[in-house]
Amino acid sequence: MKFWEIGKRNLKEIYRNPVLLGFLVGMPVAFMLVFCAAAGGGQAGPIAMSIADEDRSQNSSAFIQYLGSVDAIDLNEPIYSEESQAQDDLENGSISLYLLIPSGFGEATRTQQAINLKLVYKAADPMIGLQLKPIIEAVGSEFLGVAPPLNVELKGTESKIKNMAVNFYFPGIAVYGLMILISTAAGIIAGDREKGFLARMFTTPARPWDFILGYSLPFIPVVIVSTLIYLGVGMAMGLTIVGNLGHAFLLFFLIGLCSIGIGMIVGSLVKSESQTGVSWIFIVPMAMISGAWFTVERMPSAIKSVAGALPFIHAIDASRAVLNGSSFSAIILDLYWLIGWAVVLFAVGIVLFRRTMVS
Amino acid sequence: MNAVQTFKLTKKFNGLVAVNGVDLEINKGELFSLLGPNGAGKTTTIRMLCCLLKPTKGTASVLGYDVVKAPFAVKKRIGVSPQDTILSERLNCWENLALIGRVHGLSSDEVARRSKELLETMGLMERAKDQVRKFSGGMKRRLSIAMALVSDPQVLFLDEPTLGLDPQARRAIWEYIAELKGKKTILLTTHYMEEADFLSDRIGIIDEGRVVALGTSQELKTNLFEMRSMVVSTENLTAEVIADLQSKYSRLEKVKGRLKIYHKDLDFKGIVDYLHSRGVTVYSAALEQPTLEDVFIQITGKKLRD
Repeated sequence: MKFWEIGKRNLKEIYRNPVLLGFLVGMPVAFMLVFCAAAGGGQAGPIAMSIADEDRSQNSSAFIQYLGSVDAIDLNEPIYSEESQAQDDLENGSISLYLLIPSGFGEATRTQQAINLKLVYKAADPMIGLQLKPIIEAVGSEFLGVAPPLNVELKGTESKIKNMAVNFYFPGIAVYGLMILISTAAGIIAGDREKGFLARMFTTPARPWDFILGYSLPFIPVVIVSTLIYLGVGMAMGLTIVGNLGHAFLLFFLIGLCSIGIGMIVGSLVKSESQTGVSWIFIVPMAMISGAWFTVERMPSAIKSVAGALPFIHAIDASRAVLNGSSFSAIILDLYWLIGWAVVLFAVGIVLFRRTMVS
Repeated sequence: MNAVQTFKLTKKFNGLVAVNGVDLEINKGELFSLLGPNGAGKTTTIRMLCCLLKPTKGTASVLGYDVVKAPFAVKKRIGVSPQDTILSERLNCWENLALIGRVHGLSSDEVARRSKELLETMGLMERAKDQVRKFSGGMKRRLSIAMALVSDPQVLFLDEPTLGLDPQARRAIWEYIAELKGKKTILLTTHYMEEADFLSDRIGIIDEGRVVALGTSQELKTNLFEMRSMVVSTENLTAEVIADLQSKYSRLEKVKGRLKIYHKDLDFKGIVDYLHSRGVTVYSAALEQPTLEDVFIQITGKKLRD
C-alpha cells in the first residue's frame, strides 16, 4: 500500500494549501454564478416561440395546442401558415425564433415515419434555440408517444425544467471546473519533480503505479466535493435535475479522472514554470470546442471531429442529456469513450513515470 | 563483499562527461567522503548509486546488487539525503518520516518508534508537529537526514549534508553523522574539506569526473607532502637573513611580516635560534600541517572552491 502513503501525503499537501483549494473550487463556482445569473437564474420565465404550420392538419393543430400547454414555452400568436412569413418577421426582429411544422407532418405521425421539425432562430442568439430544442424534442416524443420520430430519447420530461439556460450551462461549467484539475495535478507533479521531491521518492522502493495512484487518488475526494459544490450552486441558481443524478455523477467522476490523467502527463513532461501555460493552452480551447459555454453545433466539422475525439464533449453532452432526463442507454457510448480515455491516460502516465524514474 | 563498489563508472550527458571511469570500493561500516568542487561529479555518482541515473558505461553495485539490474533491491537497502533539502513542506516531521518509513514497508508502530528516536537525536521533538515550511535551513537538513535514516538503511547516501548552513548548524550535523560511524556504511559528498577531514574514514578526491586521489586524510597529506612547513611571525627581518634562509631551505614565502618556510626535515628549534642570533624578533613560531585544501591544490592545481 505504498501508493496509499504517497496519496495521503498529496492529499495533505492539497487540503493544507488554501490558495490551491480556493482556486480549484472557487473559480468554477464563480463561473457558474455569473453564467447562471446571466441566464436569469431560478427566475427565468418561459421562452416566446412562434410557429409556422405548413401542414395545417388536425395532427399539427393538436401538436401546437400541446406545445402551448408546456410551461417553458410561451406561444406567440398568430400561427404562420407559410414559413416565408415567419422568416420575414424573424429578419425584421419582431420574433426571436419559430418552429416550422412541415407539410406531411400529420401523415408522418400516422404512418410513424421520421419527422423533421425545424427550429429557426436568430444567428446572433443561438442560445435560445439551444435551450428550446430539447424541450421541443421531449414534448414531441411525449405528444406522439413513439420513438424516434424526432430522433430523441428524452421522453418529454424537459417540460419540468425551470430554466433551460441553467441546465445548458451547468454541465459545461462543471466539466470545465473539473478540467482545472489538469493544471492542478500537473502543477503538483511538475513542482515535486523540479524541487526534487519525486527524485527523493524514486530512491525508495515504490513502483511507478504507486506514484500514479498516489498522485491521482487525492484528487478523487476533490472531484467528489467539487461536483457536490457545483450541484449545490447549480440548484440554487435554478438547475433542474430531471434525469438520474447518479449517472451525471458518474460522468463527472470519469471526466475528473481523465483530467487528472492529462495533468499527470503534462506534469511529467513539462517544467513547473511552463506547466500553467501548457495546461491552460489545453484547457480553454478544449472547453470551447467541447461546448462548455456555448453550442458547437455550428462549428466547422473539422473542429467538431477534434472535439469528438477528446473526452470532454462526451462528458458535457452526456451530462446535459442525463440531467434533462435521458436514459442510461442514451449515454452508454459516451461512457465507454470516457472510460477508454481514462484507461489510456493512466497507462501513458505509468509509462512516463517509469521513464522519469531512471534517466 | 564491499558495501558499495563501482567499476569504470561513467556518465555522459549529451557528450559531456560528468563522471569518468570511477572505481570505488567502500567497506561495510565505513564513512567514505567524495570531496570535490561543484560540478566535479559527486552528485552524479550518488545519483547513479541510488538508481536515479543509468550509467553510460561501467557498473555499480550496492551490497552486491547491481544498480541497473536490481534497482528495487538496492532501493530497499539505502537511505538518501539529497543535496537540496527536499521535504513535504505542508507536512510535519512525523508525517514526513512516516511517508518514507511506510513506503519502505515499515509498520506504523515501527515508524513511530524510529521517528521518535530520530526526532530526539536530531533535536526536533519540540517542533515535531509543526509544518516543516516554518523550519530553518538547519532544522530542515536535520529532518532530511532523519528521513534518510528512518527505514534503518544499511547504506546511507548524504549528498552535501551541510551545504549552505551556518557553522553552528554544520557542527551539529557533523556530530549526528559522527554518531553513525561504524553503524552504517555512509557515502558522503562535500566540498568542505574540514567536513571530509573531520568525519571520514577515507576520502576520495574527485575532479572533473575522475577520482584523483584516495586514502585516509592522513595518508593523503603525508603521501603528497614530503615537505613540512613552519610559520614565523617576526620583526626586524633583513634581506640578508632572508637570502640566507632561502639558500638553506627548499621554499620560503614572506607575507605581511610572517615567514613561511618549507623543507623536508625542518629543524624548528634551529630556525628560531638562528633568527634570534641574527637579531630578528620572533613573536611566534609554529609547525603547520598540510590541509586537504593543500592536497587538492597539489593534485589538481586549483583551489577547491574554484
